[in-house]
Amino acid sequence: MTGTFTMAPVIDVAQARKEAEPVQREVVFDIKGLTVTYGRLTAISDVDLEVYRNVITAVIGPSGCGKSTFIRCLNRMNDLVPGARIDGRIMYHDEDLYGPGVDPVEVRRRIGMVFQKANPFPKSIYDNVAWGPRVLGMKKDLDERVEKALHDAALWDDVKDRLKKNALALSGGQQQRLCIARAIAVEPDVLLLDEPASALDPIATSAIEELMHELKRDYTLVIVTHNMQQAARVADLTAFFSLEVDDSRRTGVLVEYDLTEKIFTNPSDKRTEDYVTGRFG
Amino acid sequence: MSRYRRRRIVNRAMEGVATVAAMLAVGVLAIVVVSVALRGAGALSWEFFTKSQALFGQPGGGIANAIVGTVLLVTLAAAMALPVGVLTAVYLTEFAPRRVAVPIQVVLDVLAGLPTIVLGIFVYALFVIGHTQSGLAGAFALAIIMLPLVARATQEVLLLVPATLREASLALGVRRWRTVLGIILPSSVGGILTGTVLAVARAAGETAPLLFTSSIFANTVQTDVTKALPNIPVLIFTYSEQADPALHEQAWAAALVLMAFVLVASVAAKALLARSRRKLAG
Amino acid sequence: MRTSFQEELDVLESTLQEEGALVLRALRGALNALEQRDEELADEVIAFDDDVDRRYLEIEERIPSLLARQTPVATDLRLVLAILHVNLHLERMADYCVTIAKLAKLAPEVDPPARLIEGFEEMGSRCEEMIRVALDSLRDRNLEGAESLVELDELVDRANRRVVHHLLELGADPELREYGLRMVVISRALERIGDHAVDIGEQTAYLLTAEFREFTDASHPTPREA
Repeated sequence: MTGTFTMAPVIDVAQARKEAEPVQREVVFDIKGLTVTYGRLTAISDVDLEVYRNVITAVIGPSGCGKSTFIRCLNRMNDLVPGARIDGRIMYHDEDLYGPGVDPVEVRRRIGMVFQKANPFPKSIYDNVAWGPRVLGMKKDLDERVEKALHDAALWDDVKDRLKKNALALSGGQQQRLCIARAIAVEPDVLLLDEPASALDPIATSAIEELMHELKRDYTLVIVTHNMQQAARVADLTAFFSLEVDDSRRTGVLVEYDLTEKIFTNPSDKRTEDYVTGRFG
Repeated sequence: MSRYRRRRIVNRAMEGVATVAAMLAVGVLAIVVVSVALRGAGALSWEFFTKSQALFGQPGGGIANAIVGTVLLVTLAAAMALPVGVLTAVYLTEFAPRRVAVPIQVVLDVLAGLPTIVLGIFVYALFVIGHTQSGLAGAFALAIIMLPLVARATQEVLLLVPATLREASLALGVRRWRTVLGIILPSSVGGILTGTVLAVARAAGETAPLLFTSSIFANTVQTDVTKALPNIPVLIFTYSEQADPALHEQAWAAALVLMAFVLVASVAAKALLARSRRKLAG
Repeated sequence: MRTSFQEELDVLESTLQEEGALVLRALRGALNALEQRDEELADEVIAFDDDVDRRYLEIEERIPSLLARQTPVATDLRLVLAILHVNLHLERMADYCVTIAKLAKLAPEVDPPARLIEGFEEMGSRCEEMIRVALDSLRDRNLEGAESLVELDELVDRANRRVVHHLLELGADPELREYGLRMVVISRALERIGDHAVDIGEQTAYLLTAEFREFTDASHPTPREA
């Protein structure tokens, strides 16, 4: 640069700028043709999706579109429902999740779940977090493990002086964070969250959303939410499921799956547009 | 008269009838308690509780040996019935598929309604014929009586445990049986204890089975379970057949003791259940 | 709470301030190129407009995404809307600087009279001051600072009228007419830069008071003070 003029200071904020959405990320779940039926009812049909590492993926859609069914396939919780049949293929890190010889219990250890209504065990706060590792053979340095899990769940400061108190005495938002701590204490790879904040007030909800931003550094998160705005705030990628009605038979299908930004500024499918603008569904 | 007035009168009448019926029920219990207390209180004394039966014809004596025997019988019966009852309930609620669970449930219900005298004869035929009476045989009969009670109470508490707790544990990657052991049973302890206490109260007063298996006993304290054990219900029965009015009074006193035990046990059981319900609900 | 949202807002605002700093650089460069008749400098100013445009586009693209994803309300919403408008004003200012630079490149037929250069320098440095005040008032959320821009703009307008007056005198000489016209355009460009700075002040006032007021209205001019 030549010239004899004085240069006004230019602030360099390249560090603070967020990186552009990376294109090449490791695939955690590769889902092809997933169809789930309960008896004669088809809950979801022919879903193709890829879930990427260290990214928050949201699943949105109207009630009954199969969001919870979908997410429960990922940790084989649907196995517990009598009459549930899963067709199609779910590859988890290049292994067939439903392959012969795959132990569903082991699957659930690597893929944890947080539920809609906080469900801490009727034990002390410490025991809630420590029980899983203890039972699964991770007995070493249990105190540190519990502390780390509570830290990562942004609950440590609230409870560090009352670890022996009953977990059910905590507020709803704290109980939910305790459930998150409990889930991450066993060091899963993936965390599935089924409407984790729908039973919480706005402040507690905001706390959970902040937490998810932190958690995605270490875990891969998939969240089901009926609150579109939450998906918009929190998720990097969003999958929109909707209901297809085929002579009085309703089936859930995946309509669109893209960057959250795209889904909420310029969706490709009209059904998506109708849903996110609140015109339909 | 207007329809409205007639409805009011009918309503009041029904209320009155219901109240009277409730009073009757309470009244029956009150009459039983009061008459037993009145007739038996006289024989209550320190000696009554600490001395064994007097020799034939001798005055005084107590029911100490019967108390010890009943305690032994009931403890043994509980030791047999509790594990089987709890595990049966666990199997029914946690593991059994529907096709298997329903018949087992039916069997338990039938067992609960079995006439105890039939049980007595059965155990008599099984264990006493060809051998002697024994406390073990008596306890076994009592255990069969207790089993469906414990199982049913356990089932009820297990069903109280919310499905979400099971889900939470399974979602952690914990095996089914470990979930039962670590989460579900500990939450149910209160209810299981309640069921056991109620079953014990019931068993302590069962007479028919013991008539066949543990009724021929000496008037000293007996702790050998391979022999017949003295016990309160049979004692009441035998004393009431004697001519001696002092023995009659002792029979009433023994009945009072038994009744008091049942009353206390029932109240304690209810308190336990309430406490465990509070714990589960946080 | 909502730390990533706050970070996004902060980045947006700092990008805007960056863009503002670049506009200041462009203005100073254009003025120097004009006053020193430096063609190379003028070319640089024209080339550097790309830097401004890049930031302009970046902000333009980020805002719809931010609105859709974070649904800002209250102060946050006003901030985003203010950034959107200020972005446009900065880009227009930068375009005017390019205009000045392009005109400065055309070889002047005569030595520019000293009064003209002084006039342009006066207008230019007033504009620089206004831009700084506008950007600082936005950054510091300073309402008074924003409102003071009106008076500063008055000074620029007066300087503009003086320059036009000089140029009218030049117009008497036919060989200088084309030159004179070009200078009028430059003067106009500087005056417009001042107006855009006032607009930035209006956006700051909107952000702080939630009321949109025009500080001065071209169709209802305040009576001119002598």
